[in-house]
Amino acid sequence: MKRDLSIILTLIFMLSLLSFSARARAQAETIKIPVASPFTGPLASFGEGVKNGALLKADEINAGGGINGKMVEIVLGDELCDPKEAAAVATKFANDPTVAIVIGHLCSSATLAALPIYKEAKLPAITPASTNPQIGKSSPYYFRNVYKDDFQGDFLARYAKQVKNFKKIAIFYEVNDYAMGLKKAFIRQARKLGLRVIGAESYMAETADFKAQLSKFKMMRPDAIFIPGYAPQATLLISQARSLGLKCAFFGADGLDDEIMLKNPDADGLFVTTPFLVDQGGAQVQDFVKRYREKFSIEPNWFAANTYDAVGLAAAAIAAVGLDREKVRAYLAGISSKEKAYQGITGATYFDKNGDCLKAAFVKTIKDGKWVSAEKQLQ
Amino acid sequence: MLNTLLEQSSLFLQQLVNGVTLGSIYALIAVGYTMVYGVIQLINFAHGEIYMLGAFLSFSLVTGFFGIGLPFGLAVVIAVIFCALAGVFLDIVAYRPLRRAPRLAALITAIGMSIFLQNLALLIWGAQIKSFPRAVVPAFLFAPALQFGDVVISWLQVVILTTAVLLMVMLQLIVHYTRIGRAMRAIAQDKTAAALMGVNVDRVVSYTFALGSGLGGVAGILVGLYYNAVYPTMGYFAGIKAFAAAVLGGIGSIPGAILGGGILGLAEVFGGGYISSSYSDGIAYAVMILVILVKPTGLFGRFARDKA
Repeated sequence: MKRDLSIILTLIFMLSLLSFSARARAQAETIKIPVASPFTGPLASFGEGVKNGALLKADEINAGGGINGKMVEIVLGDELCDPKEAAAVATKFANDPTVAIVIGHLCSSATLAALPIYKEAKLPAITPASTNPQIGKSSPYYFRNVYKDDFQGDFLARYAKQVKNFKKIAIFYEVNDYAMGLKKAFIRQARKLGLRVIGAESYMAETADFKAQLSKFKMMRPDAIFIPGYAPQATLLISQARSLGLKCAFFGADGLDDEIMLKNPDADGLFVTTPFLVDQGGAQVQDFVKRYREKFSIEPNWFAANTYDAVGLAAAAIAAVGLDREKVRAYLAGISSKEKAYQGITGATYFDKNGDCLKAAFVKTIKDGKWVSAEKQLQ
Repeated sequence: MLNTLLEQSSLFLQQLVNGVTLGSIYALIAVGYTMVYGVIQLINFAHGEIYMLGAFLSFSLVTGFFGIGLPFGLAVVIAVIFCALAGVFLDIVAYRPLRRAPRLAALITAIGMSIFLQNLALLIWGAQIKSFPRAVVPAFLFAPALQFGDVVISWLQVVILTTAVLLMVMLQLIVHYTRIGRAMRAIAQDKTAAALMGVNVDRVVSYTFALGSGLGGVAGILVGLYYNAVYPTMGYFAGIKAFAAAVLGGIGSIPGAILGGGILGLAEVFGGGYISSSYSDGIAYAVMILVILVKPTGLFGRFARDKA
C-alpha cells in the first residue's frame, strides 16, 4: 500500500514537472541565447570581449524590436577555459528545452569537451574563437565563424618566410589542443617553404619558469621564436628570454592577441595573427567600434567582433525558423556559399560541409606599447 | 668542434645557474615545511599559500593596490613581517585547537586552510596574473650582473642566491645558538619532556611558524620578481615542489631541506633543458622517488621511533 502511494506520488511529481516545463516553453517571453566562455580566471580578458560582443549585438537586436517581437536574452556560462567546467556548462544548456543554439566556447580544449554533449542533445553551436581543426569534422552540430589552425599555422609560416625573411625558427608551445594544432600546421608549411624549424619545446599552462628551455634555444640562435599558446604565459616567456639575453624576434597566433601583452615593455615588436583588424574594415566596422567604445569604454578585440557576428548568425537563424534545434542546424548548414553568406563586421561568413568557414587572417604588431596593423599584410 | 664544445659548456653553465637559483627558492620554502614538521609533526600544506601571500602583499604595497604606494624595500619588509604573523595566526586559529587530536585531523585542516587562503587571494586580487611594473622595482635587478660568452647571470639571480644563503646561515645560528632555538630542538626531541622542563611549548611553536612563514614570504617575493608573475595558484605548485624537496632531504632536518631544494631545482632544470621539457616536473619527482626508495627517511632523515 505504502509503496503504491509513493509510486503515485512520484508520478504526480514527474507529471507536474513535465507540464511545468511545457508551460515554460510556451510562455517564454524572451529568446535565450547562451554564451559560454571563460568569464573569470586567467583568460577572463578574452571572455570579456566575447561577453561584450554578445551584449552589444543583443542590444542592437532588441532596440530594433527583437526577434519576431521577442526580446533576446544573453545567458552567460562561465567555464574558465577548463574542459571539465565546459562539459558542465554544456550539459546545463543542452538540458534546457528553451535553448535552440549556443554561442561558444572560446578555448579549443573547452569546445572539444562540450562538443559530444551538444551532439548528443542535437543542439547546434557556433564557436566564435576555437580554431582547432578537429572541431568542425567531429560534429554536424558545430559551426564556427573563425578560421582554423591549419590555416593560421600555414599562414604564419608563409608570413615568417616571405615577409619577415626568417631562416631559423624555434617553437615554444603550450600543451593543449589549440597550440598543438597550430604547431603541427606551422611545421608542415615551413617544411614545404624551406623554413628551418630548429627546435620545439613545450610547457604546461601552470608553468612560470621557461629559463631552462630558453637557455637551450639561445645556443641555437634562432631568428625568431614562435609561441603557439596564450598571452598570460607568453608575456612571462618573452621577458625571461630577454633577461637571458635572447635578441631574436617573437611571434604567435591569435591566442597572444591580448591587452596584457602591452604592459610588457619586452614584448615590443611581437607580431601575431588576428581575424579582425579595425583599420582593415569598412563603415560597418567603424560604426561597431564606435558603439563598442561608447558602451564599454574599451577597445574591441577580435573575440568581441567574432561573437558579435556569431550572435547575429544565431538571431538570423531563429528569426527564420524559430526555436527548433534541428531546423536551426539546417538553416546554418544551408549558408553554404558566398551568395548565401551572412554579412557581418568580420566579412562574409559561410560554412563548408564540416561547418567550418574560410576567413582572412591579418597581422598586427606591438609598437611603442600599442597594437598596430603590421606594415605588410599577406593574403 | 671547439666551437660546439664551448657552446655546450656555456649552455651547461647557464643551466647550472638557472638550476641553482630555482633550487635556492625551493630550499627557502622547504625549510618552512621541515621546521614545522620538526616541532609538531604536522605537514603544513598551507605553507605554499603563505608564500603566495608574500608575493601578493609586496606587489600590492609597491603598486598602491591598497591605496598607498610604498618604496620597494619598505614594502618587502612589511610583507615579510605580515607573512610571519599570518603563519602564527594560522597556527593559533587552525592548528592549536587540534594539537591533541589525531594527526590526520590537523593534516586535513592544513589542506582546508590551503584551499581557503587560495580562494581568499582569488577574491581579493582576481585570477589574472599580476606583474611588478618596472618603475617600482629597483632597475638594477633586471640588469645582467655577469656576462661571459652566452652565459648571463642577472642581478636578481645573484640577489636570490645570496638572500637564500644568508637566511639559511641565520637560521642555523638561531636554531643552534639561541634559547628559542634550543627550545625548538628540545620540543622536536620530546614535547612532553620539554614542557616538563619549563619550555612554553605554544610560544615556541608560534616562533617556529613565524620563522618558517617569514622565509616562505621572502621566497614568494623573490619568485614574484624572478618570473614577474604573481597569481593565486602560485603557492600550490611551489608548495608541492618544496614539500617534495623537504621529504627528499629528510623531513624535519633543516640542512636536508636545503640540499633537497637544491637537488630538485637542478633536476628540474637539467631534465627540462637536456631531456624533455614536457617531463621536467616528472624528472624532478622521479629523482625524489629514487632517493626515497634507497633511503626511506630522506638524505638527512634519522630513523626516529614513532612518538605517537
